[in-house]
Amino acid sequence: MRRTRIVFGLLAAGTATLALASLHARITTAPERARMARSAALVRAVGLTDLALFTEARFTRNPALADLQTAFQDAPMSFEHFPSGTFAPRPAAGFGRGELRFGPEEAAR
Amino acid sequence: MTSWLRRQRALAEYTLAALARRRIKNTGLLLIYAMVIFVVASATLFATALRKEAEVVLAEAPEVIIQNLVMGRHDLIPGDVIAEIDGIRGVASIKGRLWGYFYDRLNGANYTLMVPLDPAMAPPAGQAIIGESLPRVREMPWETAPLFLSRTPGDLVRFDIAKRLSSDSALVSTDLILLNEANFRAFFELPEDVYTDIALSIRNPREIDTIVEKIGRLLPNARLVTRDEIARTYQKLFSWREGIMVLLAGASVLAFVIFAAEKASGLSAEETREIGILKAIGWDTGDVIAMKLWEGGLVSFGAFLLGTVLAYLHVFAFDAGLFASVLKGWSVIYPDFALTPGIDGLQLTALFFLTVLPYMAATIVPIWRAATADPDQVMR
Amino acid sequence: MISVQSVCKTYNEGRPSALTALDGIDLEIARNALTVFKGPSGSGKTTLLSIISCMARPTSGRVLIDGRMVSGLPERFLTLERRRTFGFVFQRFNLIRGLSVLENVLLPATPLGGERRADAKRALARLEMLGIAGKAGERVEFLSGGEAQRAAIARALINDPPVLIADEPTANLDTELAHRFLDIVSGLRAEGRTVIMTSHDPRIWAADQVDRVVSMRDGRLEENEA
Repeated sequence: MRRTRIVFGLLAAGTATLALASLHARITTAPERARMARSAALVRAVGLTDLALFTEARFTRNPALADLQTAFQDAPMSFEHFPSGTFAPRPAAGFGRGELRFGPEEAAR
Repeated sequence: MTSWLRRQRALAEYTLAALARRRIKNTGLLLIYAMVIFVVASATLFATALRKEAEVVLAEAPEVIIQNLVMGRHDLIPGDVIAEIDGIRGVASIKGRLWGYFYDRLNGANYTLMVPLDPAMAPPAGQAIIGESLPRVREMPWETAPLFLSRTPGDLVRFDIAKRLSSDSALVSTDLILLNEANFRAFFELPEDVYTDIALSIRNPREIDTIVEKIGRLLPNARLVTRDEIARTYQKLFSWREGIMVLLAGASVLAFVIFAAEKASGLSAEETREIGILKAIGWDTGDVIAMKLWEGGLVSFGAFLLGTVLAYLHVFAFDAGLFASVLKGWSVIYPDFALTPGIDGLQLTALFFLTVLPYMAATIVPIWRAATADPDQVMR
Repeated sequence: MISVQSVCKTYNEGRPSALTALDGIDLEIARNALTVFKGPSGSGKTTLLSIISCMARPTSGRVLIDGRMVSGLPERFLTLERRRTFGFVFQRFNLIRGLSVLENVLLPATPLGGERRADAKRALARLEMLGIAGKAGERVEFLSGGEAQRAAIARALINDPPVLIADEPTANLDTELAHRFLDIVSGLRAEGRTVIMTSHDPRIWAADQVDRVVSMRDGRLEENEA
């Protein structure tokens, strides 16, 4: 019975640690919310649009504003040039979403 | 009931005694298993936390960004566009954004130079507000050390540091150098009245689509990026990244299951004989299966706990240090950010079933035949 | 106590490799007696032993224990019968390696869910009686042949079965240990137990403690000796 006692004890300790971790997550919610609010305030004041997580190239620094139309160069597919590209998808929205439209003069003709 | 519990406990004890016979091998197995779970759990926790951060923080991004396109490429946008759009109803404010990249030949880092939209945020002339990574990559020894930027050989522009942005916001601001408008234009030799792009703030979010439509008609060459699109970009980005990690780890889970099944189905002659002995001395098929269930359950639950707890520590106490090199790629600057700790019960449950059940199955299924065999073969 | 009625056993029935191990055995085994099956290897004595002890099922014929028909029972009930009625000592003792003597002795009690401490106490008392209590914590691979056999006997008796089954128990023992085994077994009979074993060891057939020797050849009974 010695072994089960040790192993069950360890498993109980592990479960308790996991519970502790989720308690930790709960406790830190309020200060973290305040921190994110400060970040958000900075985003508003400066007018930022992107996370500064991948600074290796323009289109990785600002994926949301990346140049969609330039073939092979700045398109988000160019992520493939960079190690981080392995992990970034081609955005579904943004390619070929435009429409043909007549300007006022053409429309008049 | 107590007899049932005692029986289960005795079966668990037997399983543990049996596992203890190959202590090193089984500990190794447990650790490898825990490691696989650790990777999956880390990726899940990390991606979820990043998604959440992006969602909350970028919710304050400008509602619409207007980019000018010239020959299909992003170009400077003339300031008079602002006046053109000004008449559209529902637009609360229109401001030209000035931002650009600066490649630092000293250390190969890319900085983002920017003029804050809010004039109150702009530093005084000759001064800069810098993100938290700059002192690190520039090795600025003391708090007030000025920043020198060099555009051409022999050229040095000095900015005194008005403020260092706290690492609280590292995830959005790590590479920023905030200047005032005059300094920015002078630094990049930018003519008056052009902007990088234009930021709109819109009073009623429900009107965004209509307004975008109207601007599209006014500026057919422009590209419009809404805040929703930004948010979607990031949701996708991290789901994708997480997906890749989970896929990679999933492959290892699969490999692990194959390995476990292989190990179990190539039931050693010794193990088969032991099951025969157990059956001969009065264990029934159910006892043997229950004993093996304990084996699978203890090993996989232990590995699950170990892997998940370590992943939590890894992501939230050690800032996902093992993923940093992957995320960093070739960039010099990597933000020193902390993520908001969070455990998603549903994700955790999914992870539990994805990792524990296959292992249990791999231990149980092959044992079935041996457990249902006639016990008299031990006599022969 | 145990009644075997026209029992046949054919292995791999219907296939070219079919082998008739038992061919119409009729036998009554008395309570509280020491019965020995003798015969050359292949004579079917081990098969008969496994059928009597509910480890295998006869192809035809019936086995009754205390008047209860057991030969047609499904596996679950056979297991219960085995648990309740029989203790086993196997030819190579079949102790489980890596476990201690005490752990091995407790194995048959494991699925019963009894009070573990009481079980252990009983096991230790039995080991004490067999003179190997000092080895209780030792792993079974480190036991000598005689010690391993006594551990196997202790294991067979942990659930206090009325019948002890032993398959060639003295095959790996020297003469002195063989006699020691017979002493132990007659002690068990004095406790009121029935003992059934197989042996091709003349030392056993000739022993005073044996009540009955059943001789077998080619799956049939040859003669009974008193």
